[in-house]
Amino acid sequence: MSQQIKIVKNLLAGNDQVAERNRARFVAAGVLAINLIAAPGAGKTSLIVKTLATLRGRARVGVIEGDIAGSIDTEKVLAAGASDAVQINTGGNCHLEAGMVQQALDDFELDQLDIVFIENVGNLVCPTHWALGEQIRLCLPSAAEGHDKPIKYPEVFAVSDVIVLNKIDLIELVDFERDAFYPAARALNPAAPIFEVSCRTGDGILDFGLPGQGAG
Amino acid sequence: MHELGIATFLLEAVVEQARQVGAHRVLAINLVVGERAGVVDDALQFSFDLLAPSTLAEGARINTRRTPMRFHCAGCDSDYRPREGDFRCPDCGTFGQLADDGSALVIESIEVET
Repeated sequence: MSQQIKIVKNLLAGNDQVAERNRARFVAAGVLAINLIAAPGAGKTSLIVKTLATLRGRARVGVIEGDIAGSIDTEKVLAAGASDAVQINTGGNCHLEAGMVQQALDDFELDQLDIVFIENVGNLVCPTHWALGEQIRLCLPSAAEGHDKPIKYPEVFAVSDVIVLNKIDLIELVDFERDAFYPAARALNPAAPIFEVSCRTGDGILDFGLPGQGAG
Repeated sequence: MHELGIATFLLEAVVEQARQVGAHRVLAINLVVGERAGVVDDALQFSFDLLAPSTLAEGARINTRRTPMRFHCAGCDSDYRPREGDFRCPDCGTFGQLADDGSALVIESIEVET
């Protein structure tokens, strides 16, 4: 006999439960965890490297690097002053999941850290569903990708707590129109602060890295 | 291609639920998927079919119901669906605010054989 059973349950509840445990570990250790989501080449590692420089001597920063393969980024952030870094190779998976971060946390002494950056796999679609246990979800579009990113990838803008627009030094070269980008981003997310930075020139990095203490 | 990850959690949740009610087999799974969730139906079924063999959910059909992306226009006090590539209100041309569950990924029900 066949029978219909009502469930009404979040499909990724299993992931969310693990994410909640990760969040509890971050909170217990007094660590701010930031999930960094962006397209490949938007400047995720560069933003971490630049932020490390502004936070030197002020905060101990750990980095979890999610990549399909390799450990180049881990080496970069350690050279730039990260207190600790762990590489997660997803082996082709397009996003990090809470269980992967849970394993990575076993390699960290969280009590020795103030901030943990979790650099997600370069992708603007897949990571948006997967809570990792972060307190802040940061989306990093770059001017070089074009001003239509909020239209094309609405979900990542809708679910982010902070938006950082990178490569503003290229704005004129790549015909990036703020008048197209901002209204679409604001329609999706009226609350998230939007910072403009250039990780190449360092413009805006102080405002992002040290809110309230920057030049502006 | 996040469908494989989604299928993994879907299978786990569905099999657990089927077991709880003492079902022999899961025939169908009914999902609600938001327009913005970026889930491709065929890829999800394909991934699920890779994982499901020798479980209670082997051969189960996945049905998805889409929830559209909607915005609310404060000026017109009405909801609207955006046109292709344009988030502005079709009536007055101003930008509204996102007002939907377009990111939903929900298991609504399953059909089982008991």
